[in-house]
Amino acid sequence: MGNLKKIFLFVAGVALAAFAQSEPMDVKDVAFSKAYIGIEGGEIYPFGDLIDAVYNTYYGGFNFRYSYWKNVDGVVMFHYAYFEPRPKAVPYDGVHQASGKLGLDWNFPIIHPVGLGGGFACNWTRADLDDGVKKDLIYNKPGGTLGDNETEFGWYARLNLKILNLENYRIGFNMMWEEIWTLPKRSDMLYVGLYIERKLW
Amino acid sequence: MKNFALISLLWGAVAFAQVPAEMDGMEYETRADGTFLIGGPTYAFDRVMGAGGVHSESELWTPAKLRNRLLFNRLSGTPDWTPYEPSVWVKTGNELGDLIYQDFITESNRPDNRTPILEGGFRSPSFMGFWATVRLFQDDHFCSGAYTYRRDAVEGNYSHFGENWPMFSSAYGGLGYTNSLVNASVLAGEEYLWFYTESSRWIPAHYKPRVEARADVGNLSVTLAYEDIEYQFKPKKEEGSRKELNGSVYYKCGKNCQQGMFQISAGMAFRAVDDEGTVYTELEEDRVAWPFMELRVQPVQRLTADVTFGVNERDWLVQDSVEYLAPAPEKMGVVVGVKNISGSRLNPLADTKEFFDGHEIDLTADGQMNLVQAYAAYVDTLGGIVSIGGRGSFWAEHGAETFDVDAYEVDEKNGMKFRYGDVSRINHWIKGLTAEMWLNTWYGDMFKFTAMTGFEHIDGPVNQAEVMPVEFYSGFMGDWLLNKTFKISHSLRYRSDARWNLRFSDPMVVKGDWVWDASFSQMFPKYGITLTGTLLHVLADEDVETVNGGYDRIRFICQAKKTF
Repeated sequence: MGNLKKIFLFVAGVALAAFAQSEPMDVKDVAFSKAYIGIEGGEIYPFGDLIDAVYNTYYGGFNFRYSYWKNVDGVVMFHYAYFEPRPKAVPYDGVHQASGKLGLDWNFPIIHPVGLGGGFACNWTRADLDDGVKKDLIYNKPGGTLGDNETEFGWYARLNLKILNLENYRIGFNMMWEEIWTLPKRSDMLYVGLYIERKLW
Repeated sequence: MKNFALISLLWGAVAFAQVPAEMDGMEYETRADGTFLIGGPTYAFDRVMGAGGVHSESELWTPAKLRNRLLFNRLSGTPDWTPYEPSVWVKTGNELGDLIYQDFITESNRPDNRTPILEGGFRSPSFMGFWATVRLFQDDHFCSGAYTYRRDAVEGNYSHFGENWPMFSSAYGGLGYTNSLVNASVLAGEEYLWFYTESSRWIPAHYKPRVEARADVGNLSVTLAYEDIEYQFKPKKEEGSRKELNGSVYYKCGKNCQQGMFQISAGMAFRAVDDEGTVYTELEEDRVAWPFMELRVQPVQRLTADVTFGVNERDWLVQDSVEYLAPAPEKMGVVVGVKNISGSRLNPLADTKEFFDGHEIDLTADGQMNLVQAYAAYVDTLGGIVSIGGRGSFWAEHGAETFDVDAYEVDEKNGMKFRYGDVSRINHWIKGLTAEMWLNTWYGDMFKFTAMTGFEHIDGPVNQAEVMPVEFYSGFMGDWLLNKTFKISHSLRYRSDARWNLRFSDPMVVKGDWVWDASFSQMFPKYGITLTGTLLHVLADEDVETVNGGYDRIRFICQAKKTF
């Protein structure tokens, strides 16, 4: 990578940080002053090379959202999905995936229904092996490494559209891009889902 | 007082980046200002450019490292047994690059499996001064280093968790007592670790148990550790054990003492071992005691002289410096000083012989080393938001510790390189000239930025030294604290080539490279909660930096912590 690109990346980091403005209110009191719990379901679309690796699939799970700063919410997500492999050579039916995500949502001050967010993702996977299949024997086949638990990290960015905003409930639309830091290439997927959220306090 | 603020700024550029290291004691992995070559969590060659000489910092004994772990000849910060503040914490991470679904479509050149990091523990709030703590920590990063050799050398998985044969895996629990005068603790645990030796071997050590007691009473610090260590080498069916008692007593000059013109601290460090069966190192006479003294003389406010010296029947070591804070215009600071290190051995507490396959390696060398350094540093604060500084030094070292190689050996099966010979000295003068500059700028506690660069020219037979240090580095560090609750830290840095001269017949060049680290922390001060995600070693090529060491890969670490 050229040095110029590295310096550009660094400058981009600076610009990102400059986004935040200081707030008059004591931020310590804003954190956790509001909290919401939600359920979410939708579909996951693999991108890039992964289109040849797995089929689209459904996902479901829980979200937890809390006030962090005045216009910024903290988000914790936990989603489950079952991925079916496309290549016939893979010696099992599918893979269980649990995905944990931790990040921030920035609510547009002018267009309130729109939130932009991002954060880190951690995906845990394990093949759905039939009883009696020895994981050491399939290790060198396609998908063999998933016979054991595998975990990989990555990042996500999302667009959060609030469709209905009531006093205690919210219904919204979540469009999320996820990149997991795998090799030989990064793994990209798009999540599209609906959620319903209830205010806890 | 103006002078103190300036002095802290003078050394400000040498401050660590705020990107947290993957494990306590591995801070060298986020530093820019020198040569830091990592073999694994239990071994690194760490030399700060401004320190002069050709040795690794962790190989030099100083009183500040009394509570570091002695791993062969190094005083290592990892594994660290210092109890945390009252809190509960978990940490996990991974070297990036597992296959996951790429595995379905990747048939050839499948990358090696990547390995994680694990830590969890708590320390209770104190009850009538008493508290309890438990901690499990294990670093599987870099475990590709000598992987098959290490896997086949020992019985079982050699760790508390998983099947990666990590460089260390440690667990301890214990009790403590803290009040305004006393801070004491007793910890007991089990530990697996691999230490790196002069022959370039990784030696497995299983501590079962390791018990460490610490007590700080006023200005007195006492440390005592009992270690029951098992060694093994399965291919030759060798087994051995060492029972070791080590520790220190240290009186440190306190507040009242520091008012005086003469400030004296003193102490003693010691080890006693009892070896049985096949043990791959030896301590002469099975014991060493190391009395030492520190003296600071400040005849006038601007002049400070420091001497640290220790001596026993085998070795002596003196480290001293004289520093003068020169008169300078307001908002400027100028320091000139000289520093000297002389001694018969850099680490007089380390073992004296290493053995393997009938070979014997003498770890002590006749004669003495002398390092002298003269330096000048200045800082100029421009307008309260920018400061610039610089430091230049000239150093010369005679009798630097090195290794006199008799023979090299290759283990083809495991891709390992070994060497035999003895520790010796470079009986010539090696001279160095260093120049470092930095710029700091900040805005309240919200923003802090440092740019730094350093250059060193070394003259003399440096090819005879273990490592040819880097000639040039530069670093850019930025920290933002947003709304007092969100912290972003970056470190982007470059270092030029470094070279291992003596670990094999062909010197091993560690290519110069750029590295980027970034860390993001969400903080909830009202609840004492901090969530941190850290990316280490981004951009750089994944490279082996030490002979028989592991790959330095991109890694991600996340930590959640709640303080009580």
